[in-house]
Amino acid sequence: MMRRRVAVTGLGVMVSSGQCVAALMENLAAGRSAVRRLAQGSFAPLRSPIGAPVDGDLSVHFENSRVRMLDRVSQLALVAAAEAVADAKLELPTAGSERCGVSVGTGMGGAATTDEGYHTIYAQRSDRVKPFTVLASMTNAAASWIGIDYGIRGPNLTYSTACSSSAVAVGEAARRIWSGEADVMIAGGTEAPLTYGVLRAWEAMRTIASQDPVDPAASCRPFAKTRSGLVLGEGAAFVVLEEWNRAIARGAAIHAELTGYGLVSDTTHITRPSVQAQAAAMRAALDCARLDPGAIDYINAHGTATLQNDVVETAAIKEVFGKRAYQLPVSSTKSMHGHLLGAAGALEFVISVACMQRRLIPPTMHLDAPDPECDLDYVADRSRSGCALGAVMSNSFAFGGTNAVLIAERADQRHRD
Amino acid sequence: MNTLETLKDILSEEFDLQRDQITPDAELAALGVDSLDLLELMFKIEDRYKLSIRDDIPTTLTTVNDVVVFVDGLLAHTREATGADDTDLHASQ
Repeated sequence: MMRRRVAVTGLGVMVSSGQCVAALMENLAAGRSAVRRLAQGSFAPLRSPIGAPVDGDLSVHFENSRVRMLDRVSQLALVAAAEAVADAKLELPTAGSERCGVSVGTGMGGAATTDEGYHTIYAQRSDRVKPFTVLASMTNAAASWIGIDYGIRGPNLTYSTACSSSAVAVGEAARRIWSGEADVMIAGGTEAPLTYGVLRAWEAMRTIASQDPVDPAASCRPFAKTRSGLVLGEGAAFVVLEEWNRAIARGAAIHAELTGYGLVSDTTHITRPSVQAQAAAMRAALDCARLDPGAIDYINAHGTATLQNDVVETAAIKEVFGKRAYQLPVSSTKSMHGHLLGAAGALEFVISVACMQRRLIPPTMHLDAPDPECDLDYVADRSRSGCALGAVMSNSFAFGGTNAVLIAERADQRHRD
Repeated sequence: MNTLETLKDILSEEFDLQRDQITPDAELAALGVDSLDLLELMFKIEDRYKLSIRDDIPTTLTTVNDVVVFVDGLLAHTREATGADDTDLHASQ
């Protein structure tokens, strides 16, 4: 039986680099980094107090009676999901909403609420923990609120596979449509890790980039000889995925077709990636899309700017794409929006789709001197316009080893008859 | 300020209600204040009056006036225990 097709009909973001898709793409095209020194005094004791925060007061999007129940991670998610739903011009709730689902990836859930609760108990020696602490911090809160807001009665799922969480959430959502279990899925990811406790924990692992002494915005330097680690960012990104014929029937504008999802886990070590598993994940996604490696026109790399990842990912791309790897544009937009952990995969998938529509290849910024072991075309420091992109790949690799790769193709790319 | 006025402050600021909706007879459920919201409301009351509500919150609180009576009872109890007068407690808001 022919596999059903998955149309991407809605895109939405709420991230440091842009509070809507249009603004995000404008900033990425211009190579603007949203990484900066974190201003609040509470971050001062950090060795490297940098991050990519979302500006402005999120609470303006919600009623007072609701905002206390929403950790920042849910607020970001609801704003991004609203853009995606509006972009898709979906009427929700809809009849048959048990055929619609929600699929969200997040690494840490309501980390700020958890942090605050512990501060109350252990630092202030108080028992006055807020009544909504459990409901605001639970990992599935963001997905649940989206389901409640739009009356979506099908599967409501949360995936937590560290840095690939939302690539998994998008991929698993696509699988439900391919298999016929669902017709519409709101899928994406959200993360709000810019709290003192979370930043301290990441710093303790020695994975956070040193602040660039001249320009803090240039601290995240994927594939560069001088790279020193990742920079945490916050935000959310969502897509609306829809069964192809349903999207056509209602006259929806189709941004792209999601055709490939590869999931291959790394069992070598809890953090250390392997060339073999990353390459296998990319091959699995190509197999799923029934594409030859030659069909891919752009890779949005995982590209964390950690010493380990960038070398291993480069080798894995060469393993899959052979000689053509050297002609294939590969960039890490994390150089501008930071690493959104559980939201990274969805954000980078949204970026990949939006790039295909805009015929744009976004740059890897701050790459004046590449690591000699990183010798691909990383689109250093300048975006490229007017690029015909027929198929794009987005890589997400994770601590814990769940490697997920997504492929999208232009909506008019092919006709599976 | 009396307890009803303080409750009106909290409910209008935190629960998006109009002050004139908040009458003594108004039922909490009709105002959209559910059992979890009631916990949050008590949390805010503790803050305002520097009280500690150690006892279980009675499940019989159904109207705004029930909450007023419950809070006034706590205030009276605290007054007895500390020797503070009512003005002190309201002034500490």
